[in-house]
Amino acid sequence: MAKTMEQLMELIDKIPNEKAKAGEFILPELMAIAIAHEVLNDDIVFAGTGLPMVGIMAANMLNAPNAVLIYESGVCDGKTMHVPMSVADQRAANLASTLGGLVDTFGYYLQQGFVTLGFLGGAAIDKYGGVNVTSIGDYYAPAHRFTGSGGNSDIGSMSKRVAYIILQEKRRFLERNDYTTTPGWWCWDFKTREWKPKKEVWKGTPYADCGPCGVVTNMGVYRFDEKGIIYLETCHPGISVEKIKENCGFDLNVSKIKGETPNPTYKELFVLREFVDPELIFLPAKTEYPAAIKSIIG
Amino acid sequence: MARIRGKAKKAEIITLEEAVKKYMHNGIQIAFSGFTGFNRNPVAFAWEVVRQKYKDLHVIDRHGSCCTWLLNTVGAIKIYETDWMGWGEMAGKLDINMERIYKAGKIILEDYAHGAMAMRFLAGAIGAPFIPYYAPLGSDLYNPDYDALGRAGLRNGKNPRIPKKKFIQIEEPFFGDGEVVLLPAARPELAVIHVSKVGDKGTARWRGVGTIDKEIAFACDKVVITAEEVVPEGEMRKDPEANQIPFFTVDAIVEVPWGAFPSGVPFYYDYDAPFMREMDKASRNAEDLKKWIDEWVFGPKNWEEFIVKLGAKKLLSLKADSTTGYSTKMMRGKNPAPRMKMPLSVARSGY
Repeated sequence: MAKTMEQLMELIDKIPNEKAKAGEFILPELMAIAIAHEVLNDDIVFAGTGLPMVGIMAANMLNAPNAVLIYESGVCDGKTMHVPMSVADQRAANLASTLGGLVDTFGYYLQQGFVTLGFLGGAAIDKYGGVNVTSIGDYYAPAHRFTGSGGNSDIGSMSKRVAYIILQEKRRFLERNDYTTTPGWWCWDFKTREWKPKKEVWKGTPYADCGPCGVVTNMGVYRFDEKGIIYLETCHPGISVEKIKENCGFDLNVSKIKGETPNPTYKELFVLREFVDPELIFLPAKTEYPAAIKSIIG
Repeated sequence: MARIRGKAKKAEIITLEEAVKKYMHNGIQIAFSGFTGFNRNPVAFAWEVVRQKYKDLHVIDRHGSCCTWLLNTVGAIKIYETDWMGWGEMAGKLDINMERIYKAGKIILEDYAHGAMAMRFLAGAIGAPFIPYYAPLGSDLYNPDYDALGRAGLRNGKNPRIPKKKFIQIEEPFFGDGEVVLLPAARPELAVIHVSKVGDKGTARWRGVGTIDKEIAFACDKVVITAEEVVPEGEMRKDPEANQIPFFTVDAIVEVPWGAFPSGVPFYYDYDAPFMREMDKASRNAEDLKKWIDEWVFGPKNWEEFIVKLGAKKLLSLKADSTTGYSTKMMRGKNPAPRMKMPLSVARSGY
């Protein structure tokens, strides 16, 4: 007889918070937990659809239970039971504080300065954290046309900290983007037609110090230095620095590397698998628990 | 712009076919309700627009949806002014067929961002000609060289619904708060809004998120409400705080149950992700897409027949729970949804 969710809830604190071993988890699980670790308990988080949403839901159930989750369709502090497939999914609105619309989320919350962490996806990123979700090649005759900004440019510019999740390939990690949807720490000043630090272009606005704080890819975790340039912080287990450099379109700073991205713990995996995405919508498959964990779950 | 009116509108209750025939015309500037392909898209209306073969539409909206997907299947959209050109998020991200049309030069895409479009509709709603917004400086969205409508020669003032500029960047003049962007109001001709309930006088209500539907209702000249249920106006007056659209903005009311399918209507029915994935799959080549349209758009005699074709089994699985407002019976992934009484975060840490 399968356990009820209430019975599973009681097991959480019995599951050891030790790091799982290689082979006991899959890459999307490691990435989702890496995202979760970006969230602080007093954050107001504005997240996009997909893995960012899975990661912040996991954070909300693990390390940041009081973090406030904002979804752009109008949800303020949704307490989700079933993972949403869209930011407008009624599942995101469950037990919310208030429901409004885009004027609320982008105006009252974001432009007003309440949002402390934005979590977004991107098709390509430049070395200063500028993101492209619009097009590759010539803007008017693109090789690839993507969906375009959505909330990316607003959230990525006006949240105090912004983290991105991006698939790492040489053509997606670039010196300069073909099209900058969301500016990073350096951006083009269309008035003077110069490439300048965001702090200068945005000087005088309330958002001059808002910008990228981290990037999670399928290969590693990245930060930004005091000049606003991206550097490698950790490689995911099994990924070498060389492989990461091969999959980067510019000369990446790897001198500050701290080692490997930590494996998720059994407790984190248990919450992610049993409570965040038990329906297997975002996670492609469920790996078996090792015998010691199985015996606790029963 | 603000439209000084001599008298209150009086909403008419008409059929879907009549509403499309009366309120649509070729080249109309139009906005749809909901959010992406998932929530309260007026799909039945867009479906009927395709059937009645209106074309050269200027869709101005916060993002794509099942409606824009349907209209693009027959190339009905000429100008698409929005901020997210996808439609179904996790069930079909980019409208592949639209990308094909775009690469063939048959559609003009004008890019904005969510916040910017929300502000443009807010300006339109309150009768303001423009609105200041901290639209991202340094983003190519506000690159003076990237103005698709300007490039097409459409910002010449001839069409009163197309602003003469995409945006203006100025030094904030009152407080000295840096550089700020002025965005032109959105002021389309027609809003089509799908709601759960509308009174027979026009007062309308939805549950769940509002997206920018109230702003759209006020920004547009004309408003057609499609609804799951039309009820006596008095019923709507029992909980006025639950209503969002005042009746005097509404021109026409259309009762069309399941009218948002395959998007969802909170507390009525859920979105159908598998159906949307099939739409996405069909759009990957022109031949499959034609088959899909023939079967699902031109095949059924009317919307009721379209819904009957879906079958009772599907409708039962999509029916929303009265407590959560969504379905916990349908399969969205590889496993069924677990039965839950309370979110884990609340159970462990409260609010």
